[in-house]
Amino acid sequence: MAEDFSVEGMLDMYLFENRQLLEKLQETVLDQKDADCFDEDAINEIFRTMHTIKGSSGIMMFDEITEVSHKLEDIFYFIRESHPENVPHVELVEHVLEVADFINSEMDKLEEGGTADGSAKEIVANLNTFLASLKGENKEEIIKENVHQAPTQFYIAPMATASSHFFRIFIRYAPDTIMANVHAYKIVFALKDLAEDLLHYPEDIISDESSGDYILENGFKILLQAQCDMEKLQEIIQEGYEITKVEMEEITPQIFQMGLDAFGISADSIIDLDSSVEDITKKEKDQAGAIAPGMFVLPPQGQEAKPAEKKEFAPGDFVIESKGPGKSKKLAKDKATKQDKTSYISVDVKKMDQLMDLIGELVISQSVVLQNQDLKIPGLRLDNFNKAAGQMVKISTDLQNVIMSMRMVPLTNTFQKMNRIVFDVSRKLGKDIEFQMIGDATEVDKNIIEHISDPLMHLVRNAVDHGIETTEEREAKGKKQKGKVTLSARTESGKVWIGVTDNGKGLDRKKILEKAREHELLDPTRLDSSYSDKEVYQLITLPGFSTNEQVTEYSGRGVGMDVVVSNLQAIGGTLEIDSTPGEGSQMLLKIPLTLAIIDGIVMQVGSNTFVIETGAVKEFINIREDSVIQKPNKEEFVMIRGEGYPLLRLGDWYGIADCETDVQKGMIVMVEADKECFCLFVDKLIGKQEIVVKPIPDYIKKVQGLTGCTQLGDGRIALILDMAALLEE
Amino acid sequence: MEAKKETKELKKQKYVTFMSGKEYFGLKIECVNEIIVAQEITAIPETEDYIKGLINLRGKIIPVIDVRLRFKQEPFEYNDRTCIIVITVQNTVVGLIVEKIAEVVEIDEENLLPSPTIGKLEKTQKDRYVYAIGKVGDSVKLLLDPEKLLHDDMKTLESAYEDDAKDDSNE
Repeated sequence: MAEDFSVEGMLDMYLFENRQLLEKLQETVLDQKDADCFDEDAINEIFRTMHTIKGSSGIMMFDEITEVSHKLEDIFYFIRESHPENVPHVELVEHVLEVADFINSEMDKLEEGGTADGSAKEIVANLNTFLASLKGENKEEIIKENVHQAPTQFYIAPMATASSHFFRIFIRYAPDTIMANVHAYKIVFALKDLAEDLLHYPEDIISDESSGDYILENGFKILLQAQCDMEKLQEIIQEGYEITKVEMEEITPQIFQMGLDAFGISADSIIDLDSSVEDITKKEKDQAGAIAPGMFVLPPQGQEAKPAEKKEFAPGDFVIESKGPGKSKKLAKDKATKQDKTSYISVDVKKMDQLMDLIGELVISQSVVLQNQDLKIPGLRLDNFNKAAGQMVKISTDLQNVIMSMRMVPLTNTFQKMNRIVFDVSRKLGKDIEFQMIGDATEVDKNIIEHISDPLMHLVRNAVDHGIETTEEREAKGKKQKGKVTLSARTESGKVWIGVTDNGKGLDRKKILEKAREHELLDPTRLDSSYSDKEVYQLITLPGFSTNEQVTEYSGRGVGMDVVVSNLQAIGGTLEIDSTPGEGSQMLLKIPLTLAIIDGIVMQVGSNTFVIETGAVKEFINIREDSVIQKPNKEEFVMIRGEGYPLLRLGDWYGIADCETDVQKGMIVMVEADKECFCLFVDKLIGKQEIVVKPIPDYIKKVQGLTGCTQLGDGRIALILDMAALLEE
Repeated sequence: MEAKKETKELKKQKYVTFMSGKEYFGLKIECVNEIIVAQEITAIPETEDYIKGLINLRGKIIPVIDVRLRFKQEPFEYNDRTCIIVITVQNTVVGLIVEKIAEVVEIDEENLLPSPTIGKLEKTQKDRYVYAIGKVGDSVKLLLDPEKLLHDDMKTLESAYEDDAKDDSNE
């Protein structure tokens, strides 16, 4: 048996599982924050989550986390058991979030290789007071408290005999125990010191993770030969957080000799004695949904997913009798329950990236094969080849779509976080704000999600802090007392549009202009009135700009908006600001769906090949020579259907030799960037292709208008043109 | 005796040598990844002339520079013997286009000489990439500092001129 096992792997597992649990927890809590109390599902869930975290933190010996989660568990135990009336719900929500925050921050430290050294004393004290106040209101009820199992002291009688004793031990764990094999190992490890001989089944509890499942199902069996008595063993193996049952009996050396076979009959009978048929089936059901250690299969929506009438309660759940008529409570349960049952498996992001790269290579090598020079020999009959090639293209396109969709993550989590921010900030500022999410199921590439989280946070904070007026101001203006912040997402024309809308006071044009003048951000020769609203609103995205007179904890330092914009630009996104004074403002983020593979139009100029994203191209036009008009400053424009569009000769622009100069022989490509249309003149079009975007090596200095490069079907490299970047300067 | 031998071996260094113009140059073998035959190069607009563009090295896109142009020598026609030496300098992978690959030679440290200079000419652009010369039998290899080869940008060139001007005025 391997003595040492990787703590590293366990820590990863610990962090991963607890993060999932906390995320779910926060979602549940925030979901019901506006209700008068938690429904029974939520209470059970919070209780169970805390129980699990407590257990796993206990193993990992993160005492503070264990203590905090234990305290919160206590509170929910109390609520569940005695259904106290008049629970200060908002306060409770805050406590839960506080605990979640604490655990999260400790886990952050652990993740970065630090130690969980935060002190939870204050939180625990708060929780204690809260619990006491809850109990104070319910004095008449006598509650059996969920006592933290303190190790009971036994008096150990001096050993009477020198000869060895033989024991048979059978341990059963709570069905919701995570990593039962590790718990089992803990016991084996503890017994090692005493044991002269020790056998256990399952034998491999360290490297074989599925043994955890086995232990949950069939219990853990130990045969022990030791020079101690039963009491000593009982001290080591106690019923505790996870262990629901311990059977211990002394056996004769003969039985011990039989080894684990001795368990055969008796172990089975133990199970049969303890569990009724119902119990067993129930346990089996639980196990079906239980988390298999190492596999990270998330339980499909937990309790909510189960149909109400066939509700099964996991051991440890308690049914709260619904309160009698009289006080009608707004239960969060009234909401439609989620029915979708999807199971997930989590994969290392690196592997996903690798897969993505490989698919990219596959797409390229596919076009290398299909456009191979050897196929262009005249007189070849390629009917069958083409048929087969067509099939292959179809499959690889499907493959590409699947991998793309695998990388797509719904915005739900990101939005959920914003919900939390609104909740926190609005409470601190004493504003009554309703938060609405629209289209949070919209899916976006994982890379992009990572980049928009911060900008969104800034925008939402801004909306709550600056946008929405205080309750008094709102009343004075005759507006609804409750402010509203809406976070919406939708996909349109290959982009994701995320909007942060508030119904607050809107942006103050005059104030912004004043401030801008103050900071000398405006052209002193231009009049205020010559700036369009849009231009004015864009001013707030400049570094160091903040119109809020008061710097608050949340915003006002003026570092927000420019960070938002630069973060967005990093992923090719843009920010649009719109506002109506007195009615609110809207920040609209336009972000590309994905960064890795784009649909592009390949075109040639001289010996160079360029690619433009298909979405940016409006149309291709062949024009007569006389529709090109040159202005005295050599700028050219093209008249198309009675409208003039500026013309950019790509060859001249980049100084490419031997490019086409005759506009009638080349091709005009009309493109759109930042709502402006202009025409590019290129030699010829090559075609439309899926391209894998690769960065231009750092060694080469940034060339205006080029955002990347890609490999074409024939192995050549094409440069990717970005219209918006081309227009800059 | 043994210790002496060891130190002697430690001082030996392998160099990849190639021909550019009439001379042979050497690069420390550690910085050379591989040598490939010349392939199609995609030009990038608005870059220095010696940066010939990008090549596709098995799916990895790397920039290539023409060593002759880098040395401000006459350009040459690429042919079958033209090779690209792929080097890594401080995590930057770059291809060097050279006329002809010669061989890999081992040069003792005692056979290394500082690059001989007359006056100030060698201090300026033409020779500043050469940090030493190595004697191999009768021939001489000019040993290149790859970092300078890559990163000596126009600014330092100008400052080199300025330094020269200063020197002139001093004299």
